[in-house]
Amino acid sequence: MAVDLFNPTPEHAQLREMVRRFAETEVEPQALEHDRSETFNLPLFRKLGELGVLGVTCGEEYGGAGLDAVAACIVHEELSAVDPGFTLAYLAHSMLFVNNVYQNANDEQRRRFLPGACEGTKVCGMCMSEPDAGTDVLGLRTTARRDGDFYVLDGAKMWITNGAISKDELGDAFLVYARMEGAPRSELTSFLVEKGTPGFSLGQKIEDKLGMRASPTAELVFEGCRVPVANRIGEEGTAMLHMMRNLEIERVTLAAMSLGIARRSVEVMNDYARERKSFGEPLNRFGQIQRHIAESYAEYMAGRAYTYQVAGQMDLAKPGQRLDTDGVKLFCATMGKNVADRAIQVLGGYGYTGEYRVERLWRDAKLLEIGGGTVEAHQKNMTRDLARLTKLR
Amino acid sequence: MKVLVPIKRVADPANANKVKVAGSEVSHDGLEWVMNPFDEWSLEAALRLTEDASAKTRTGEIVVVSIGPKAAVDTLREAMGKGAERGVLVDGEDTALDSNVVAQILAKVVEKEQPDLVLMGKQSADGDSNIAGTKLAELLGWPVINYASHIETSDDGKTLTIKRELDVGVQTLKVQGPAVITCSDRILKPGTIKNGVTPADFEYPDLGDLNSRLSNLKNIMAARKKPLDELGLGDLGVEPVRVDEYVGFELPAGRSGQAQFLESVDELVQKLQSEAKVL
Ligand SMILES: Cc1cc2nc3c(=O)[nH]c(=O)nc-3n(C[C@H](O)[C@H](O)[C@H](O)COP(=O)(O)OP(=O)(O)OC[C@H]3O[C@@H](n4cnc5c(N)ncnc54)[C@H](O)[C@@H]3O)c2cc1C
Repeated sequence: MAVDLFNPTPEHAQLREMVRRFAETEVEPQALEHDRSETFNLPLFRKLGELGVLGVTCGEEYGGAGLDAVAACIVHEELSAVDPGFTLAYLAHSMLFVNNVYQNANDEQRRRFLPGACEGTKVCGMCMSEPDAGTDVLGLRTTARRDGDFYVLDGAKMWITNGAISKDELGDAFLVYARMEGAPRSELTSFLVEKGTPGFSLGQKIEDKLGMRASPTAELVFEGCRVPVANRIGEEGTAMLHMMRNLEIERVTLAAMSLGIARRSVEVMNDYARERKSFGEPLNRFGQIQRHIAESYAEYMAGRAYTYQVAGQMDLAKPGQRLDTDGVKLFCATMGKNVADRAIQVLGGYGYTGEYRVERLWRDAKLLEIGGGTVEAHQKNMTRDLARLTKLR
Repeated sequence: MKVLVPIKRVADPANANKVKVAGSEVSHDGLEWVMNPFDEWSLEAALRLTEDASAKTRTGEIVVVSIGPKAAVDTLREAMGKGAERGVLVDGEDTALDSNVVAQILAKVVEKEQPDLVLMGKQSADGDSNIAGTKLAELLGWPVINYASHIETSDDGKTLTIKRELDVGVQTLKVQGPAVITCSDRILKPGTIKNGVTPADFEYPDLGDLNSRLSNLKNIMAARKKPLDELGLGDLGVEPVRVDEYVGFELPAGRSGQAQFLESVDELVQKLQSEAKVL
């Protein structure tokens, strides 16, 4: 039988079905409300733990499901089709923290941090960006200095998803990238920092985001923050590799989120154009509307094929797919935004209001051109990688 | 308690417009398959009968059986992902089956498996025949209770108290197992199943629009390793006797899609009399 790129095994198909049903029955009904109130739905997040998807790529011995990048894409695509904001919180937890710790930390650290994160009793995230360092991530200025059995961290992290779970409450645990005092630019060191660690505090919960409002975003502050040596991941100066490994799955799953947005937008415009009449005819009889629908569908499927093809080739333990993991995000982020935009256009005034959902999807879609690497960053990385090639296979 | 749950895969009713008919056959090309929703209700009932829901442990055994092509294995694995212990696939193409053949095959499986109960869908969402359960009970010489909305047992299925919601009211029956039971969708409500193990005050969550509980990823993965037997009709010693002959299939006439909104009930009654002429 022909291989189904999107559901390569029956288990993938069942996972998709399970998450889709959960999304439709439990996630959809709360999406608009949490977008409007700009709040994180913690009880719903914990249900993802019961479904076993918080540790989708984490080994079974630590409470995960031990599945591959395709499975991770499936969960992100399906959740994002109803609530991209909530999905971003899922991504920060499951990909940026759980997968990262599973791939890069030692056994003792995994045993300490992963079971709670996979169950959903803990809400976690990853701290890379800073107020003055985003695309130029190696320009980060958070420092670490050894002091006996501790490291002392100083600095601030910005835009941290799950950094706060409410206005004044920190998330539970974070993987934090820093640089040893005096170390060269390319040598980073990463640490596991928990809520309650002396010197670790919530700077502010960031309000008034355009989209992704159901995912909490925060600035986090480290002031003489004392982290036990046992919480250092790997050796000093080796975290660049951890970062690269994890950025690839981050980008592919962010692309999968754009796919969810695009699919839903196509469904909405397709349904509406069939029912709504103008000049006595359904909208989908008009050429300009046909172009919106048909091109959106084709672009969605192109992005989908590219993303699942790349995900199917990924080895989560090794970096080495930068060109295409950047490529899928570059293509899908803008594709998702454009498709959501066309959906609003097809719906006219109705599309411009919350009830038809595409207004929210459009706002959420924009973030995917910025977070996890801006489109410009992908263009830069990809062109650098392509410059080394003469023939493509 | 051991429960046998027959499960059919049917073309996804949500994409019914993909079904194509040609003479005496329905074409299966390009269809998406799902578990018959009526079977899902029975599976959910069977799961509730054979677990301690508060301790989240399985206390009995569910064997799911499907008659269909090889690909129906996916549907059985889905049921096992929700908690069923074992699967049996009996090789059979849809076009070679009717309710009689299905009942004949299931009777042999029952003989082999010796369950305390057969819990099945009242009908399948494709054929809508509503016969197989009753027929099976007849072949087995077992009692049959259709459209159960409540099932209660405290002695592992030896005696069952069953409620059926009928137009005239609620009927309560006491039956000595083994028996064949088909379910109505009321069975999905919280508090409809008592098995003497799950604490009486345990509240099942409302399933909303779902036809059975969601699986979780661990169970989906574990289901891959659960035992699944594949049998042919020969293995079961069945010589199928078909009593239905499929003469022709036609798509239903399209609906006009026209609707009128009326101001009052009086106006409605008047139109039903004068225009629709149905009163
Ligand atoms: C909602 C949200 C959630 C986020 N979650 C997280 C998180 O959980 N963890 C985390 O670490 N970070 C997170 N981020 C941060 C995100 O990764 C950064 O915003 C992103 O990397 C861009 O960095 P910046 O905002 O500092 O923009 P800048 O890097 O300052 O970029 C500004 C503009 O300049 C362009 N630019 C910069 N350098 C170049 C160049 N060399 N060539 C061409 N153009 C260039 C950029 O493409 C962009 O258009 C999140 C951001 C948002 C908005």
